[in-house]
Amino acid sequence: MQHIRKTYISPATEVAELINENYHLLLFLEHLNIDFLVYDKTVQQVCEENNIDLNVFIVLGNLYNGFFPNKEELDSLKDIELIILFLRNSHLYYRNEVYPKILKYISILRAHNTSKDIALVERFFKDYFNEVVEHMGYEDEIVFPYFSQLLRGDTQNSNFSVKGYREHHSDIEVKLSDLKNLLLKHIVIKNERTTRRKFLHTLFELEFDLGIHSSIEEKILLPLIENIEKEQVHG
Amino acid sequence: MDKQRTHIILIEPSYIVFEGLSQILLKSNNHFSICHHTDLKHIDSLIKKENNNVVILNPSMLQNRNNDYIKLKNNHPSISWVALVYSYFDQEILRKFDSQINITEPPKDIISKILKIAGPQKTITTNRPVALTERETDILLHLIDGLSNKEIANTLSISIHTVISHRKNITEKTGIKSLPGLTIYAITKKIIQLDA
Repeated sequence: MQHIRKTYISPATEVAELINENYHLLLFLEHLNIDFLVYDKTVQQVCEENNIDLNVFIVLGNLYNGFFPNKEELDSLKDIELIILFLRNSHLYYRNEVYPKILKYISILRAHNTSKDIALVERFFKDYFNEVVEHMGYEDEIVFPYFSQLLRGDTQNSNFSVKGYREHHSDIEVKLSDLKNLLLKHIVIKNERTTRRKFLHTLFELEFDLGIHSSIEEKILLPLIENIEKEQVHG
Repeated sequence: MDKQRTHIILIEPSYIVFEGLSQILLKSNNHFSICHHTDLKHIDSLIKKENNNVVILNPSMLQNRNNDYIKLKNNHPSISWVALVYSYFDQEILRKFDSQINITEPPKDIISKILKIAGPQKTITTNRPVALTERETDILLHLIDGLSNKEIANTLSISIHTVISHRKNITEKTGIKSLPGLTIYAITKKIIQLDA
């Protein structure tokens, strides 16, 4: 029986206590460039020391604890550059850490299996990974710079389209879920159980972080940007 | 995990009461998830749409907030509202709740009240058929050939809605949604053969 209790993060909560309750928050801290040695400091203290906007910390942290912000909290988000930094850092984590790890597991499975199915999984994953890299590159090089430009009050034209941007995400999550189900239900591999466990574990961790990542982009960042666009148009 | 959790939201100013009640609930070996807030106004962000939600509320929180409460109740008709009573309240106020827990009640009575009000914990069926039907297999093959829903409907002389409903069943049975994923599925189940 699994017992779940997640605290609704507030300024006076101790950060170490939060991590003990939900260790996924380690990744959250890393994405904000905050070190894990937090002593017995509260959320507010850690934010002040690291020069991190308190409202952004609370809203994004609560997403990791399963709470979506209400309108009041969304309106409290002023440091949009910090949200962009968070997203850029999570791209680095996906690109430099998670995906190479998955590729390594697949190559171990290939080396110890004669089944042709594992070659299919490898191709599926590589195609998928290329798509993801392309999408992250598009965000890092076109979308985020456009947002930053807008935040500086510069409304010059850009290649960016909100609509095209919105469509891309769901596809990334669908394929990840497909990969999990192929391994759990369909692809027959009977050896290398430890490698398969690590592989699946990594997929679940990635899925958790990517889910939060997409909801920050789609439900938090985009509406904020759209508001700014409107304000600037109306002067 | 065969059951969905009942999500319990406790709106209560006292941390002592929260800690005590959450211990009782978690020790009961039911699928509960619990969260706590000291203010009614955060409730929108605490609700989990995919679960049965039970809000346990200290009626003193409703002082001068009656209208807010009625509005919340109307906005969230599926939520069950339980009063946590540890002092005297007017019956008029208590009538606005679906159930009541008294602070002196034994744990097993509290649990049974919550289970009763939350309704049956939803059971996810695990023994549904997993093999694709002949028709679903036809549709899968056409999808892999690159046909659109409309083209498949024309080829098989069925409506596009039927195609969409078959596709939904394929995804439900296989757990796979993307075209490349379905292709791998078809190969591993020997529905199609790889060339060379």
